[in-house]
Formats: sequence, structure tokens, C-alpha cells
Amino acid sequence: MLTWLLIVGSIYISILFFLSWRSRRMIRSNSDFLLAGSNIGLILGFMTFAATLFSTFTLMGMPDFSRTHGIGAWIFLAFSDGGMVFLIVWFGYKLRKTVSVKGFNGMSGLLQDCYRNRWAGYIYFAGVFIFLIPYVAIQIRGVAIFLVQAFPDALPTWGWSMIIVVVMLMYSELGGLKAIIYADFMQGTLLLVVVWIIALTCMNALGGWTEMFRSVEEVNPELLSTPGPQGLFNSQFLIASFLAILMIPVTQPQLSTRLVIMKDTKSMYRMAVAVGTFAMLVIFPTLIIGLYGALRYPDASVADFLGRVLLHDQTGLIGSAAIIGLFAAAMSTSDSQLFALGNELRGLISRKESDSLLPIRIAIISFAFAALIFSLLSSDQLVLLARISFAGTAMLGPLVILGIFAKKPQGSFMIVISGLGLLVFVLSQVDVLPGMAGPVRMDLLLMIILTACAIANYVIRGSSPEL
Amino acid sequence: MRRKRRLWYVILASALLLVVITFTPLILHPGKIGPKLFSLPFTLWTSMLITIALVVLTYLASKAQDND
Repeated sequence: MLTWLLIVGSIYISILFFLSWRSRRMIRSNSDFLLAGSNIGLILGFMTFAATLFSTFTLMGMPDFSRTHGIGAWIFLAFSDGGMVFLIVWFGYKLRKTVSVKGFNGMSGLLQDCYRNRWAGYIYFAGVFIFLIPYVAIQIRGVAIFLVQAFPDALPTWGWSMIIVVVMLMYSELGGLKAIIYADFMQGTLLLVVVWIIALTCMNALGGWTEMFRSVEEVNPELLSTPGPQGLFNSQFLIASFLAILMIPVTQPQLSTRLVIMKDTKSMYRMAVAVGTFAMLVIFPTLIIGLYGALRYPDASVADFLGRVLLHDQTGLIGSAAIIGLFAAAMSTSDSQLFALGNELRGLISRKESDSLLPIRIAIISFAFAALIFSLLSSDQLVLLARISFAGTAMLGPLVILGIFAKKPQGSFMIVISGLGLLVFVLSQVDVLPGMAGPVRMDLLLMIILTACAIANYVIRGSSPEL
Repeated sequence: MRRKRRLWYVILASALLLVVITFTPLILHPGKIGPKLFSLPFTLWTSMLITIALVVLTYLASKAQDND
């Protein structure tokens, strides 16, 4: 296994740094570094969007999620992604239209321009900072605990986490967004191939497709319907998750940036269809791996289950590819998020094209180390932590959509109410406020209230003359 | 242009309908495993078909939506 890991790992790191070096040669301006020249075609655009969207929580979290909660995991993620790609066609078009008039230095800067209010950008940045840093942290932690499981005597969790952060910073600081996009292409392909090979191995070990479902029905039939054995996948949870995932390209800057930098709208539309297809292809095998886990390792801990299913039950080559695939998935999501946060900061402090990028580069490194520290403190419930991140940033969705869609500035009401919404959501997550408001989940209630406020704001201000 | 707009609204309504159906007991039926399709339990195969339909609608929406 170690020999294979050294071979596969060396090839991977070499390609990564070659791509970074190649991208560095093409950098002529700050925009090239931060926005990859805003000229990304269909194939690269699709792979970078998909690789950024599907992170370690896909390869590690989803198998464990379906092992514990059953086939409702498909609705939780794949169906929600289907809705999300549909939204891209509608939102992406409007976003690109607005950007063609106002320019793009990150969503924070764009919102400041749309609302003509600096606080719109500050609230947006605060929201994405609060919820993206923990999301980056769980990517790092996910891979680190897996590596500790694979090589128990090599390094502690913090040691692996440090290696991940340093490699990620080195190649992204060297080659900019273009390097990240090239690396995403490689990482997305690797993720898809590895997850399918592992799923097929698992299915064969269980005696095939029909036998797998028959065994699950015999052992734990609740896994084959919603809400699942623990009752998690009830309608409210799935609706709130759907809305949170729907808002990802609207509110998470690493993905909205990718909509903006596509070469043209037609490429963006095709990219949306391709991402929807990719989502189904990558999520289905995680269900198979999860059901395999439910039969073979129903009571194992998360780390133990993943170590067994992704490493010990695979050949040396596949196990090594799984390790590198996880490493790659974590990095492709984390580097994009940290980079996007840097670009948001740039837009927020209104730096000009000619200004030095040094403060932004330093900020990206600081964000990475904040995520590193958080990764050492966070829990191992990767999917649920990722979902909190999606739901948290989703609170900003109505603010963003109103700003982008309205033809004139929409006042400060939505900025204030979105700030309050974020605060209430954070307080409900740390148990200062209850997670349920009567019979309704707090996140779902907040999303409904904020959406209603945005619609009311538009109706009242949208038709009034510009002040 | 007007025909394109109308088509866009039909596609949007279809997508919304699919989303609403998914969260009703028609799909989310506690304990319901059959009828099966290629051994897949009911909720899984129906939600898979709906997801495929959403991606197809995304493709159709891209044809009905304006370009740059």
C-alpha cells in the first residue's frame, strides 16, 4: 500500500505543481491571478464547478450518511443538486448581466454597488467568513482523520492537517485561480473514477446489485425508505436542505465567481447541465458504498468504517488512489473557498487592478490558518457540519438575489434583516436560541421569513422612483 | 421572443411541480419500499427519475433562456 501511495502521490503532486507553474507563466494581471482571465470554457468550467462543489464530504460523508440514514441521502444531495443546476440557468444569466454593467471584484463589492450601501458587502462577507471557514476546516479534518486511520504511526491529526494546508497554499499562491481550475479538472476526474471503482468493488463483495438491496431489506429495511432509521430525513429536514443547497451558487463566492468567469452564457448553461449529470454520477456510488457499510460495518465509528471501506477492503492501488482522491477533493474545495474569500476581501476594500496583491495573499494565508485551527477543534460529523455551512450562507440568498435582480438600489431593510437572520441562525446553532420555532425548524423558518421580506421589499421599493 | 418566454414559464412551472411532488407523501412515504424498479426501493427510483427530469428541464431552460 505504502509503495502504491508513494507512486500515485508523487505523480499527483508533480502534475499539481506542473499545472501551477504553467498557470503562473500565463499571469499578466491581478485579474488573471484572481479571476483566471474570466475566459473559462465548458469543459474546464464544468470540472472546476463540480470539483469545488463535491468535496471530501461526498467521498467520506455521503457513504457514512447513507450507511446511517439510508437512501434518503439521494434526495438530500442529488435531488437538491438537480434543483441547484436549474437555478443556475436563471440566476447565472441575471448575475452575468449585472456584472457586464457593474464589473466584478467579488460578490461583496457587487452587492455594495447594487445596494449603494457598504454594509451590504460587510454583511455578505461576515456571513461567508463565518460559514466557509468551518467548511474548509471540515475538509481538512476529514482527510486528516482518514490519514491517521490509514497510517496510525506516521503523524498526528494536526500534522496531516498542516501538510494539506501548506500544499494547498503553495500551489494556489503560485498559480492563482487558473492553477486551481486546472487542478480541479484533475481532481474531479480522480474523484469520479475512484468512487465508482470502490462502489463496484463493494457491490461485487455483496454478491451484486439485487443481492445488495435484498440483504439491506432483510437486515435494516428502514434504510430503504425515508425518514430512515433515525428519522433524520423527514420532510422539513429535506426541504430546508434543498433550499440551503439551492442557494449555494448564489451565496458561496467560490461558485458564483465560477458563473461569472465562464467565457459566455451558453457555456455556463451547458456547464449547469453537465454539473447536474456529474452530481448524479458521483452521488449514486456513495449510496452503494453506504449500503455496503450498513451490511458489513453497521456499528463501526465513522473513521473506522471509512478506513475499512476505502482502504482495507480495496487493493493497494485503489486504496492509494482513494487517499489521493480524498486529499484532492479536500484541496479542490478548500483552495477555491479560501481564494474566493481573498477575492471578496479585495472587492470589499475596493483595491484597484494596479494595486499590489500582497495584502490579499496574506489574507488568504490567514484564512487558511484560521481554518487549520478550526479543523483541530471541529467534530467528525462531516455532512451535518457541511449542511450547517450551506444553511448559514443560504441566509444571504434573498439579500443577494434582491440586489442582483432589482434594477435600482433596494434600501437598507434587507441588509439589516439579513444581518439579524444570520445572527439568529448562529445563536440557534450554539444553543442560545432553540433549533425549532414551535413545530418548524429554525433554519427553514428563517429562510421563509427572509424570502418574504425580500419579495415585500421588491414590491414596495422596486416600482418606486429611484431616490 | 414571446414564444421563448412562454416556454420558459412552462419549464419553470414543471420544475416547481417536480420539487413540490418530491416533498409530498407521494415520494416520501415512511416505510414504503415497493413497488421496486430493478431492485431499487420506491423512494430511490422515483427521486432518481425526478432528478433526471430536473436536469433535462435545466437543458430545456437553457434553450428557452436568453444568451449574452
